[in-house]
Amino acid sequence: MEEKFLSRNFEIEKAYNLDIFEEHGGYSTLSKAFSMDTDTIISEMKKSNLRGRGGAGFPTGVKWSFMPRDSDKEKYLVINADEGEPGTFKDRYIMELDPHRLIEGCVITAYTLGLRTGYIFVRGELQHAIRRLERAIKQAYEKGHLGKNIHGKGFDFDLYVHSSAGAYICGEETGLIEGLEGKPGQPRMKPPFPAIVGVFGHPTLVNNVETIASVPFIIERGGDFWASLGIEKNGGPKLFGLSGMIKKPGVYEAPCGITVRELLERFGGGMLDGSDLKAFIPGGSSCAILKPDALDAQMGIETMREAGSSMGTGCVTFIDHTTCMVRLATRLAHFYHHESCGQCTPCREGTGWAYKVINSIEAGRGRPEELELLLDICDSIQGNTICAHGDSLAIPVRSYIKTFTEEFEDHIKHQRCPFKPWRTGKSKSKVSSAA
Amino acid sequence: MPMVTINGVEVEVEKDVSILEAAAQAGFDVPHFCYHPALSAPANCRMCLVEVERAPKLLPACYNPVSDGMVVQTESEQVVRARKAVLEFILVNHPVDCPICDKAGECKLQDYYFAYDAQESRMRAEKQHKVKAYPIGPRVVYDGERCILCTRCIRFCEEISGTSELTLADRGDKIEVRTFPGQELDNDYSLCTVDVCPVGALTSRDFRFKCRVWLLTSTESICTGCSQGCNIHLDHFRNETQRYRPRYNSEVNDYWMCDDGRLTYKNLHTDRLLSPQHNGATDNWHTLTKSVAAKLEKQIKAHGEESIALVLSAQAACEDIFLAKLFHEEILGKKAQLYIAGKPSGKHDDFLINADKNPNRRGIEAVFAKLDGIKDVATLAGDITAGTIKTVYMMGTEFGEGDRSEAVAALKKCELFILQSTQGADLLDVAHIALPACTHAEKEGTFVNEEGIAQPFYKAYEPHGDSLPDWQIFMRIAKAMGKSTLNFTFLSKVQDRMFEATELLRKAEEEAAAAAKKAAEEAAAKKAEEEAKKAEESAAATEEPQDSTPS
Ligand SMILES: Cc1cc2nc3c(=O)[nH]c(=O)nc-3n(C[C@H](O)[C@H](O)[C@H](O)COP(=O)(O)O)c2cc1C
Ligand code: SF4
Ligand code: SF4
Ligand code: FES
Repeated sequence: MEEKFLSRNFEIEKAYNLDIFEEHGGYSTLSKAFSMDTDTIISEMKKSNLRGRGGAGFPTGVKWSFMPRDSDKEKYLVINADEGEPGTFKDRYIMELDPHRLIEGCVITAYTLGLRTGYIFVRGELQHAIRRLERAIKQAYEKGHLGKNIHGKGFDFDLYVHSSAGAYICGEETGLIEGLEGKPGQPRMKPPFPAIVGVFGHPTLVNNVETIASVPFIIERGGDFWASLGIEKNGGPKLFGLSGMIKKPGVYEAPCGITVRELLERFGGGMLDGSDLKAFIPGGSSCAILKPDALDAQMGIETMREAGSSMGTGCVTFIDHTTCMVRLATRLAHFYHHESCGQCTPCREGTGWAYKVINSIEAGRGRPEELELLLDICDSIQGNTICAHGDSLAIPVRSYIKTFTEEFEDHIKHQRCPFKPWRTGKSKSKVSSAA
Repeated sequence: MPMVTINGVEVEVEKDVSILEAAAQAGFDVPHFCYHPALSAPANCRMCLVEVERAPKLLPACYNPVSDGMVVQTESEQVVRARKAVLEFILVNHPVDCPICDKAGECKLQDYYFAYDAQESRMRAEKQHKVKAYPIGPRVVYDGERCILCTRCIRFCEEISGTSELTLADRGDKIEVRTFPGQELDNDYSLCTVDVCPVGALTSRDFRFKCRVWLLTSTESICTGCSQGCNIHLDHFRNETQRYRPRYNSEVNDYWMCDDGRLTYKNLHTDRLLSPQHNGATDNWHTLTKSVAAKLEKQIKAHGEESIALVLSAQAACEDIFLAKLFHEEILGKKAQLYIAGKPSGKHDDFLINADKNPNRRGIEAVFAKLDGIKDVATLAGDITAGTIKTVYMMGTEFGEGDRSEAVAALKKCELFILQSTQGADLLDVAHIALPACTHAEKEGTFVNEEGIAQPFYKAYEPHGDSLPDWQIFMRIAKAMGKSTLNFTFLSKVQDRMFEATELLRKAEEEAAAAAKKAAEEAAAKKAEEEAKKAEESAAATEEPQDSTPS
């Protein structure tokens, strides 16, 4: 069995308690980090090839090096724990089962970049995670891992948990910052990036929970070691959340570069009996859908892009032959329509329109020209919005239509969903015309 | 300064200007909704997306600053496609109720639709419904379905009026502009939100359903609400003013004007004095000027020039005041008493609203150079009661800070009271003679604002009824009195004389001031010399014994 890192403590009972966490070596990397030069830490982070685990995959060491280091302006650390993407459920495991690991990572990050205050911005629905984090932070303060003069090093760092009011768009880093400031979650225009103008107008580092939870391991074992666990440009192991019609859904740790097939077979236990794999979504609902022929693609930012999709959050959803792709697209469009902040025109109007069109196709009221219309809507949204939320609808919807064109055409031709033989659009329209 | 190439045209622009502004300098108009030159750029409408060489995506031209060597396309195929898409998106949930929308004809959405989209709707589903005809404030109505969520109105209230009543509420395609709980859009500049709204989502309750905008003719004018002199478009239809809109002037009012001032246009049509009146009976100019002349001559003969009061109005234009000045000097006689009148002062703020509610007090100063001999109208009642004033010739119906009822009571006791005004108000019953003057919409002229800036206004339509510009009335009476020196065929001739005269006055003033300054300086120098002498003397006095001590 491979050595475990991020999920090391998942099986240990009550590892969320400080004493048990410390018994298993927790917080031991702090003294090592404090003895290191901060420039060395940043270069170790760069060497590690750690890529942001929030979905965009930006190299973490590079992001850290963008933070201004010589300004006297107060700087902030923000942990993005708003995990809300359908199909994604890895960060909550860290927060619920190993919260001290995240805190340990926060302290090292803050020490390295001279950050005095940190916020963990947690999705409001994750009440259990919030309680575990709050308790862990309290324990860490009591033990002197947080607060004033940490480990007698003359370095202060305060960490707070902020419960989100519950909007998916607050996961987008600038929407998150607005939310943290107490405003409606409406993403900001970039540039300026948060590293220059972030929370309360101050330089801010925004990183995902899993990204920061990886930091202690990189300090412990070195950047080269971390890089050696993955593939080119994608260092280290990561958490993969597997869901869908498989035998053993759950969160598993595996090195970057693992193939989707391995994930499915080794960890997920294969498809359910009687279920044939029809398609899979590699990294959360905003990724393009792939057919089983892409099962041998490696989980990495570049490799997944080559396969025609993206690694996203690394949480794979497996879909079987009983699933209607039009219905799936409808659900997804509904989600992105419902969660659009409404600021910019293409996303505000385009997501709702796309939803209405797909919904009418699924309901058996589609017209042949509407597939073209849908693709047009996707093209007009993508790349033309303030934040990437618009793309999150355009990319998957386009891929569903292009990958499963026949299924969409069937819906339109027969004016009903072939997966729901008992319901037809025709009979519906008969009722309405009789009325 | 950065050089940029826009659609093949090279321009050199200031550092940090936006691509949109640079394009304008190169002669290309980039369509936009949310951008407004006086407000911050949120880049939310996405109408201004342009193609920039080496940029991976289209960029909002309103938000991105230029950099040296930038190459921009504002009309490429890709740009036009994105623009068309944005228009189509905006119309997805738009009610397209142009036939009953007040903005139709001056709506950016309509204009751009015809320029770029102009295709049939591809939207078959039910539209998102939102609040309609909602009274968001006492003077403004909001239509959520027409709103394109550009946030111009919100930013106006945050950045210009500083009152921040508005915000966006809800999200996605249910998002709407709303006031914060317990508030309404009720600030002194709330109607400016109607101007900045690029579509018909915010309409003026005053102008709603009143007139189609394409029927309006617009004349450049000045608001008479206070001494700020905000520049306006005076929009009129069939000889009636329908509304005022602010006209850009960076020195005076930028793009804005206050609500009170904007609604003063109503005075142009209420209770107008439209025909000459003689003891309450309608008369005609021909016979009435003769009677006025005869009466004035009689009064001068009986009680002397000094018994006559000429009341100047700070509401009148410079040209009218100049004729009044000549009328005073050449007809009534220099000993006749001058008074200055106008509206009483009112509320003010540190933006546009001035306490002085008259457009041309500084104009009177300019015409007379100094106001030494001119009394405040508040003293008029006392002078009449004391018997020093027997005859009053009054422009306008205002008594400034003076007590109105006292003034009206005193005027009743006057032997002769001639009123020359646009409205009769409560003075019509008191006046022996009433001469109808026309409003500033019906004539051309000049106002000098609080800052001393002389601003022209132009004639929008013919004078109502028998009314005439004040300057012409003075001329008619002068003529009836047999004095032909007050004879100007055109306003421009009045203006020439006026500028010549004020220039002379100004020079004389300057010379006098220079002389006074010189005299004061000389006196000061003399004094200093004397003092120095004194000090020297006293120093010598004290030094002498000191000198002598060592010896
Ligand atoms: C619509 C939208 C939603 C997002 N939601 C999340 C989220 O829930 N959690 C997260 O970590 N990143 C989310 N992101 C990505 C963040 O914007 C940002 O890239 C990330 O927090 C950076 O952290 P990393 O570099 O550690 O990945 C979202 C992005 C978009 C556009
Ligand atoms: S893309 Fe969508 S979510 Fe992002 S700012 Fe625009 S409207 Fe809001
Ligand atoms: S009301 Fe007008 S100005 Fe305000 S957001 Fe809507 S469209 Fe823009
Ligand atoms: S004008 Fe530039 S995005 Fe609205």
